[in-house]
Amino acid sequence: MASDRGQSDDYRGPLRRLLLGVLLVCLVGVFLVWRIDSPRVERFRAQVVDRVVPSMDWAMAPVTGAVRILRDFQSYQRMYQQNRELRRELQQMKAWKEAALQLEQENARLLDLNNVQLDPRLTYVTGVVMADSGSPFRQSVLLNVGARDGIMEGWAAMDGLGLVGRISGLGRNTARVILLTDTSSRVPVTIQPTGQRALVIGDNSPAPLLDFIEDPEQVRPGDRVLSSGDGGVFPAGLAVGQVVADPGGRMRVHIAADYERLEFLRVLRSYDHERIDEPGGIIAPAAPDTGTDAPAPRAAVEAGNG
Amino acid sequence: MAETGTLHLWLMRALFAALAGALVFARLLPVDMVPPGWAGPDLFLALAFAWAVRRPDYVPPLLVAGLALAMDLLLQRPPGLWAALTLAGVVTLRRRAPALRDLTFLAEWAAVAGTLVAMTLAYRLVLTVLMVDQAPLGLSLMQLLSTLVAYPLVAALSHLVFGVRKRAPGDLATGGRTP
Repeated sequence: MASDRGQSDDYRGPLRRLLLGVLLVCLVGVFLVWRIDSPRVERFRAQVVDRVVPSMDWAMAPVTGAVRILRDFQSYQRMYQQNRELRRELQQMKAWKEAALQLEQENARLLDLNNVQLDPRLTYVTGVVMADSGSPFRQSVLLNVGARDGIMEGWAAMDGLGLVGRISGLGRNTARVILLTDTSSRVPVTIQPTGQRALVIGDNSPAPLLDFIEDPEQVRPGDRVLSSGDGGVFPAGLAVGQVVADPGGRMRVHIAADYERLEFLRVLRSYDHERIDEPGGIIAPAAPDTGTDAPAPRAAVEAGNG
Repeated sequence: MAETGTLHLWLMRALFAALAGALVFARLLPVDMVPPGWAGPDLFLALAFAWAVRRPDYVPPLLVAGLALAMDLLLQRPPGLWAALTLAGVVTLRRRAPALRDLTFLAEWAAVAGTLVAMTLAYRLVLTVLMVDQAPLGLSLMQLLSTLVAYPLVAALSHLVFGVRKRAPGDLATGGRTP
């Protein structure tokens, strides 16, 4: 077989070279198409992932479980120490819980007094993490819920503790969550208690960068970082983390979500609610459809004319 | 004889595909979501190169291209570019395989290193020109170096476990039996 190659080279050589050329052109073509029309190719990618990864799940779940058990086993060696730490934390937590309950009651009373209307409660869909990005350069996870479950692009994903990322890339049965640490992640936040606006910018490090702060002087390590809802990307008020200063003096965010153990994620349903784009929208609500009871707009028009 | 030879050839190709699948599987395991400060080796590339140098017929271009494109899609890379470069690298090494057959392992390693560096440079250059977001330079270099360090291991493993050996001069005579 192999010795036949020598004689057949004269006609197979050019054919092979042609095939190789075609292959290379195809691959480069795919890349160029991706560069030109990224959403379409990304949708295709999501469909491929949607087809391939769930079929590996039967094998992935046990292997992942085994690895986790091994890790837990390592931590058993420090069990006594951990137990003491946990007890101490539990005592602190009890004190906090008491304070939180009192504050909640007080808050409810005040809201009731003022007759305040809050945003409707966010509901969520819970998904299980199936796979991660598989590359040290990208930070994302794949959930086992998708378009079939009503997930939409751009929704926020949280674990029990804080914001994890946003949906980007949606298949029928799977959805990809871009983590806050990914280099393409930008999330508008407010920093409490001063209320400064800023952006959390992922840079492939465990603690993403905090940039575009309105007044960096007022931000201290330890301040709380919440999502601000600017740009309509996320609902406002989701916990993101705490401000920390890195050795270089730049502000970073210590993420509240436990990235070492992402297992179940909540995807928050956030449908667009009424948006107010112009200042006039607040003063004069929807256009009057009947002329019978609309004295106020008419008065406004007259005032405008005069 | 010819039947078993062809069968063996296709078995080895299937083994290559299966190994690539196993590598993807291992990388997709959701074990740790904290961004690592380091980048491990691209074992698929090391495997493809090691086999291309030893037995070019086990890694046909079509197979390599298909696997590399699938990996691009699954591992969230810009689809197509790294696959094209992988294909180019493998084909280059396939061409040089007859010359490398008689040289030492060090020469082979150097050839692989040259190809890999050229691929990484071309990749970053194209991404820069087309203004695509790309990974930090440090991580890319780390992946390049770790792939080079892992290469001898992958080559040894292929040699010892999977029996992917360079064709010895005597093999041509018994080509029918062990192609």
